[in-house]
Amino acid sequence: MNTLVALVTGPITPETEARVRTGVGSPQTSAKGDGDAGARLRFEGVVRRIEEGRALFALDYQTYDPMAQRELESLARGVGGRHGLTSILALHSRGRVGVGETSFVLEVTAPRRAEAFAATAEFIERLKQDVPIWKRPVWAP
Amino acid sequence: MRTSIQTIHLPVTLDVLLFGAAAAAAGADRVPVVMGMKQEVVTAQEVLASLGSQHPSLRTATTGARLAVNQAFAKPDAPVRAGDELALIALVGGG
Repeated sequence: MNTLVALVTGPITPETEARVRTGVGSPQTSAKGDGDAGARLRFEGVVRRIEEGRALFALDYQTYDPMAQRELESLARGVGGRHGLTSILALHSRGRVGVGETSFVLEVTAPRRAEAFAATAEFIERLKQDVPIWKRPVWAP
Repeated sequence: MRTSIQTIHLPVTLDVLLFGAAAAAAGADRVPVVMGMKQEVVTAQEVLASLGSQHPSLRTATTGARLAVNQAFAKPDAPVRAGDELALIALVGGG
C-alpha cells in the first residue's frame, strides 16, 4: 500500500498538492492506476461560510507537531490495512484557511468501491476524534 | 538510639501544553500542575485529575480527555516523570 500523509501550511491547492506528491523521498500515488485498484475515491474538506449560525471569514488550524503527523500516518496505515486499500493520500492544513478553501484532502484507492467508501468514512471519523489538530473560527466582520 | 524513616513527598511542578479551546479557556498555551510525587512517578490519569482540580477553567476540557506524554497518547496508568513533555489532547477538530 502506498501511503502519503502531510501537513500543509495554509489551504490545500492543486499546486501545493502537486508539490507534496512529487516531494523527494515521498511515496507516489500515481494518477494512472496499476490495475490493482478498481476504485479511487477523493474527499475534500472545505471551509464553510456559516458555522454555528455565524458568518465565518476563515478557520485557523493548530497542530501539535510532530505528533499530528505521526498520528495521521498511523491512522492511514491502520485504515488502509483494515480495508485493504492499495493507496492512501491524506493532506491536512495548518494555519489559516479561508472560506471556500480546502483544508483536508483524502484520496484512497481500493480493489472495490465498498472498501473505498468504508475506509474514507472511518478515516474521517477517527481524524475528528484522535488526531491532535484544532480549529479556531475567525468570524467575518 | 531509635531512628525513624519518613517518606518525603516532594511537590514537583509539571507543565502541560494546551491547544484549541482548552488553551482559550485557560488563557495560556501551557499551565503548571503541581504533583506530590512518591518515587518520582505519577500516572497520566492522576495528572489529568490534578489538571482539572488545579485549573477550574479546564474542568470541561479534561473530561474525557487524554494526556500525551512525549508526543504519544498515554494510557491512564502510564507513568509520568519529571521532564516528560505533557500535552492535553481534548476537543480536537480536524477534518
